[in-house]
Amino acid sequence: MKILIVEDEARIARRLERMTHDYFGPQLASLSSCESLPTALHALTTAAPDLLLLDLNLNGQDGFDLLKSVAAGAFHTIIISAYTDKAITAFAYGVLDFVPKPFTEERLAQAFARLTAATPARKPESALQFLAVKKQGSLSLIDIKDIRYIKGAGIYAELHLQNGKKELHDKSLEKLAQLLPGSFKRIHKSYLVPIAQAEKIIVQEGSSYQLLLKNGELIPIGRSRYKELRSKMG
Amino acid sequence: MARLLFFCVFLLALTSCKSEVRYEEADAVYRTGDDPRWVTPQYDDAGWKPERGPTGSQVFWVRNWVILAQRNPKIPLGLQVGTFGAFEVYWDGVLIGQNGELATRQRTEVPGTESSSYLVPDSLAKPGRHLVALRSTQAYLNHEERGTAIRLESYPRLLRAPLIVMSFMNLMAGAFLIAAIYYLFLFSSGSRKEPAILVFSIICLLFFALLIAEYIKFYVVIPYPRFYLRLEVIGWLTFAISLLVPLYFAIQFGFKRKGLLTGLMLAVLIGIYLINFNHYDLTAMRLSYAMWLASVAVVAAATVQQARGGGVVLAGLLASAVVNYFLVYDFGLFICFTLIVLCMLYLHAIRVRAMENERQAALLLSSRLKLELLKKNIQPHFIKNTLTSMLDWVEEAPKEGAVFIQALAREFDILNDMAEATLIPVGQEIELCRHHLQVMEFRKEIGYELQTTGIDPTDLMPPAIFHTVLENGITHSLPPLDGRIVFKLHFEHRGRHKRYTLLTCARNRPESGNGKPSTGFHYIEARLRESFGSNWEFCSEAVPEGWLTTINIGPAA
Repeated sequence: MKILIVEDEARIARRLERMTHDYFGPQLASLSSCESLPTALHALTTAAPDLLLLDLNLNGQDGFDLLKSVAAGAFHTIIISAYTDKAITAFAYGVLDFVPKPFTEERLAQAFARLTAATPARKPESALQFLAVKKQGSLSLIDIKDIRYIKGAGIYAELHLQNGKKELHDKSLEKLAQLLPGSFKRIHKSYLVPIAQAEKIIVQEGSSYQLLLKNGELIPIGRSRYKELRSKMG
Repeated sequence: MARLLFFCVFLLALTSCKSEVRYEEADAVYRTGDDPRWVTPQYDDAGWKPERGPTGSQVFWVRNWVILAQRNPKIPLGLQVGTFGAFEVYWDGVLIGQNGELATRQRTEVPGTESSSYLVPDSLAKPGRHLVALRSTQAYLNHEERGTAIRLESYPRLLRAPLIVMSFMNLMAGAFLIAAIYYLFLFSSGSRKEPAILVFSIICLLFFALLIAEYIKFYVVIPYPRFYLRLEVIGWLTFAISLLVPLYFAIQFGFKRKGLLTGLMLAVLIGIYLINFNHYDLTAMRLSYAMWLASVAVVAAATVQQARGGGVVLAGLLASAVVNYFLVYDFGLFICFTLIVLCMLYLHAIRVRAMENERQAALLLSSRLKLELLKKNIQPHFIKNTLTSMLDWVEEAPKEGAVFIQALAREFDILNDMAEATLIPVGQEIELCRHHLQVMEFRKEIGYELQTTGIDPTDLMPPAIFHTVLENGITHSLPPLDGRIVFKLHFEHRGRHKRYTLLTCARNRPESGNGKPSTGFHYIEARLRESFGSNWEFCSEAVPEGWLTTINIGPAA
């Protein structure tokens, strides 16, 4: 596990470092700290971490652009911020957790625990709404309502949109599953489908299952996931 | 405005009231000497001269022939005589009255007044040819050979006409007297001494005096030797008004060269006075023309510059010219003046409203700044980061944590103390800064030091000015290699000028660039404006040693 801490308050940075050490122990491969935005961006491009702990208000600079940019990254982001009113925005852009200052060790541990959970916390206010996608050097936001299904492609994920277009997201399917709301179902190890897009389950010879989407597309259903899906689709 | 309208209607009514008495008069003829026969209509005055000639203190006679064509026999006939001297008035040889007392060998003349009215006996006021004979002396103002003006009119109207004119003029005069007193009180009780208010008050007072001086002739009997005194007074009042009115417009419209304008106006007015010396009515007329032209010039310039109210005032001035053109009565001038003063009143009302708005805005700004000051330490970035650091200190090193809490509490106390003030002693500000730096040391784990030189702890500055500069210094400085950042606050006092410099000795963050970091600067500038008006300069810039903030207070060089 490689972790990067971005925090301009020295004392708080040291607190984060200490607690991160204590939580991950030997699992921690590397832990580094930046106290300014330029150094942080440099660190993110040269050696991408697995987890970013980010203070959203760095030296008085607005963190909104930064938020979009980190949300598009392959790594998970946990926001540590004084501005609790920014939490909903942060979740909407796909951060793993938002830890308001002042924070205790327990609250930080709770955030770290989300790294290993398969699905997001069931809180409507902390729902992801947009997926930030890197496209030719710029960032574009995709509303998750426009997604038909998501297909895993190694360390990336392909977003298949309702307009037929396809976008590549830097996060893996596993990581997206941790962020996306419960309406997205993992029907196969390589597929995530919003339940609203599903038409019906088609059973084929040799007891293989497929999901018929509303546009007529067929998507394979994992054997182990069939039962759960069938109960959900009722 | 309604009063003015009523007045105009009244004037029109006056002009339309044709006299009921119709008559023709021949030119007056004169003869020096005294002869009882000269009083009778039968006496032939063919040899008499049309000019009086020098009479000294001698008795002289004036004979005026009038042909009474028509009159209402039910209304008594009146005779009005306008001339200088003391005289007895004879109508067809009958004495009908006298004005003053003629000089005789035994006693000196008791001077009469310039204009006098007499009742003509009904029995003698039949249509036809009549003789008005005056037996006069003029012991004073010998050089003045004033002609004799005769007017026939119904007697009640002769008495009533001045009353009607006076009633309106006194009404106006009263209004201006009240305005003069009101604006004088306004000026003397106002916190800001507005010169325009004083000038306006003086103009109103002068205008009141002018109206009184003009119409005092109707209720005070002025002996003819004093006749010119009144005109002289009117002349000087007109002079003063003519000087002040353009000055008032110049002040109200914020002209820069008021002194030059006033000097120029003074020169022009003195010139007019000298050229028209002893032509009283003409002088007054020309003085007011000069005033009107100067006012129009000032207001037109203001209108071109789109000053508020310029258009309305210009229209008012032009209207006054129109009124003056159509009304040849001597009160045409007063209507002009009234219109001009109304324009001034209008301007003043606009100005008062603008001032009230300014005052409201200033109050609003003050309360906004007070809020901003209080918010400084409860805004999330400060309080949450401080609390997080504090939590860490309390968990890891409780003793130091306690010191941290004390420093924060002290900073809150000081901020709370100064929150209501617009100016605080610099000593208190420095104490605030030291506690803030102590808090920041715990948060940033950097040694902050504030060094002060030349400080006068009692000097007054708006609250949290240096505190804000320090906040910026902390935010925009890179962590120092030796773990220490020094702030140097220096004060210089030279005459009316004060200068504070605050140098942050540190490396500036590259992302803050060389431009002004604007965080908090609007607060500093608004506070300085609130307390020092425009007499301050604020400069904040990168220097080789770090970042230098300079505040100069005092009148611009």
